[in-house]
Amino acid sequence: MHTSSPGRRRARTVTLGIAAVVALAGCGSSEPEPSATYDLGTPVAGEVPEGVFEGVTLTFAGSGGIFQDGQTTAAWTPFAEVTGATFQQDAFDPGKLKAMVESGNTTWDLVNTTQFDTARFCGTLYEEYDYSKVDISKVPEGTITDDCMVPQILYGLVVAYNKEAFGDNPPTSAADFFDTEKFPGTRTVSMSQYVDPQMLEFAIVADGGDTANLTPEQIPTAMEKYRSLGDDVIGWTSGAQAQQQLESGEAVMGLVWSGRGYGAAAAGAPVAPMWDEWMVMVDSTGIPKGTKNLDAAFAAVNFYGGAEQQATMTEETSYGPVNTEAKPELDETLKTWMTTDNLETGHYPNVDFWVENYDALATEWSGWVTGG
Amino acid sequence: MVGLGDRGLTMSSATRAIATDPALATPPASAGRARRSRVKWGPLLLLLPAIAVVTMFFLVPLVDVFIRSVTDPEPGLQNYEWLLTNPVNLEVLARTFLTSLIVTVVCLLVAYPYAYLMTIVGERARGWLTLFVMLPLWTSILVRTLAWMVLLADTGPINDFLEAIGVGRQPLIRTTFGVALGMAQVLLPFMVLPIYSALAKIDRRLLAASSSLGANGLTSFFKVYLPLSRPGIFAGSITVFILGLGFYIIPSLLGSPKEAMVSSLIYQQVSVFLLWGQGAALGIALLVVTIIILVVFNRFVRGASLAPGVEPE
Repeated sequence: MHTSSPGRRRARTVTLGIAAVVALAGCGSSEPEPSATYDLGTPVAGEVPEGVFEGVTLTFAGSGGIFQDGQTTAAWTPFAEVTGATFQQDAFDPGKLKAMVESGNTTWDLVNTTQFDTARFCGTLYEEYDYSKVDISKVPEGTITDDCMVPQILYGLVVAYNKEAFGDNPPTSAADFFDTEKFPGTRTVSMSQYVDPQMLEFAIVADGGDTANLTPEQIPTAMEKYRSLGDDVIGWTSGAQAQQQLESGEAVMGLVWSGRGYGAAAAGAPVAPMWDEWMVMVDSTGIPKGTKNLDAAFAAVNFYGGAEQQATMTEETSYGPVNTEAKPELDETLKTWMTTDNLETGHYPNVDFWVENYDALATEWSGWVTGG
Repeated sequence: MVGLGDRGLTMSSATRAIATDPALATPPASAGRARRSRVKWGPLLLLLPAIAVVTMFFLVPLVDVFIRSVTDPEPGLQNYEWLLTNPVNLEVLARTFLTSLIVTVVCLLVAYPYAYLMTIVGERARGWLTLFVMLPLWTSILVRTLAWMVLLADTGPINDFLEAIGVGRQPLIRTTFGVALGMAQVLLPFMVLPIYSALAKIDRRLLAASSSLGANGLTSFFKVYLPLSRPGIFAGSITVFILGLGFYIIPSLLGSPKEAMVSSLIYQQVSVFLLWGQGAALGIALLVVTIIILVVFNRFVRGASLAPGVEPE
């Protein structure tokens, strides 16, 4: 009684209470169950034995819209039909993935993410691929950039310009994009939350740089190049907005995802791609660390990469296939926007450089998108 | 929680000890104290659900966020160093407080006359006025913001009107004005209601008294009515200001990047860059600066109350 004043007692009770709750909250993570293994023999892209995944449920977290719908039509639904697996769809969010993996409760088996993120978190947030279980012989050369990814689509960051604004003298280089005297008018570039290192690479290329040899000093300089456009540059914060700005003529030029440039052209806007210099982009199919269905996920990626599946995926989504033998049937407009027909003039990203200099990139990018 | 039961036991044994120990037996005072203590602790049990919820869903995550800010990716203060040395962070933090302040002032200027009107009209009209204040609260924030996007658009009805009357089109969306307008509309009820409840309590005979002592209308207002309504003003302002600091959707939809507030910076760190330590540091910074502002406010502004709705003594 005498040693314990009410105040101190109360303090101790509260501390104990907090400690107990913290301890309880910490109990969430336990040892993950081992993933089931299957022997499916030598993989052939697009093929999978019948009925092997009866009772298995796979979840794909994608980017929504016609993109995810097209992927589902092209690969996930047929895969489920052949193997007996159940395929579920969810919306991808990198933060959610990290929380999932950290709490030891991974509920996604396949995700659509960037090649920079699979490279940054290979082995921590993403499972390493066993490339003996996925047929990668038909994957476009140079697009597998770390051990935790197989490309999911091949698209691009492309200059889309208004044909009416520039007539017979369209822009033909990255430098032209920044030349407001020769090519006057408003440009649109990404001001989206989603950091895009290749937008910086584009500015570096415009200055005569080479994406294979980048230095940290080029990061702020590249961002500055966009700022130097002053009133001639506006931002897009979503692909839909980029497309709308091109369609309405609000921007006479845009550095946009190829699918969105195509979208504007398909809607009837006089918009054309500049293939003379463009940035080759791929999205990764990542497999979240701790999945209970590692082998089934490999089999699904292997199936997804089939020539037929990729042809359907391209027809459904307009995004380039990641199988060099895919023969999608394209209309005239889409043919002019097909990244895979223009690979020789594309610049490939320096993924290792951006992984190493990610903090500097993040700082520059958040300054760019918050007007700082 | 265990501590409370334990405490009850301790108290009753204390009472027993007092009763049996002649040295301590000064009955009226100590018995009174023991009884008071028991009466105090009993109702505290009613707080248990609240304490449990606050601990589980607020305190624990908050401690977790703080720990992350000094351990992720490695132990140390590098996240705070980054926060303080990167001008973007400071600029956006300052912008967040400024925007919230503008919204608070706008709400106050709109809400005060409105609340006053509510006190002088009849029962029926007051019902309607209350309904008009509450109506926006019952509508999804997203729907309301989308409506603002349509109204404020460069080719929207407001700009059409401005052009028709010869003023010409003005930038409304993607400006601080647009953001402040959207936020003020959402936050207005939180200003109107506390002010109304303060104004309704003011004894109007005091105004009659002041005018009988020679004060004109303005003097009566500034010397009598306004000071008496201060608790409502403070309660409303603090609520609106603090709620405003956390806005995310409205600045994103009605503002340009130049109007982005700290929540979008935090979102970016957490969900895009996956730099949780830096996101956590930003969150803690926002919390600490908010607390400092409130404490200073409470300390130096007469009549301010940190517990909105509770009148200061």
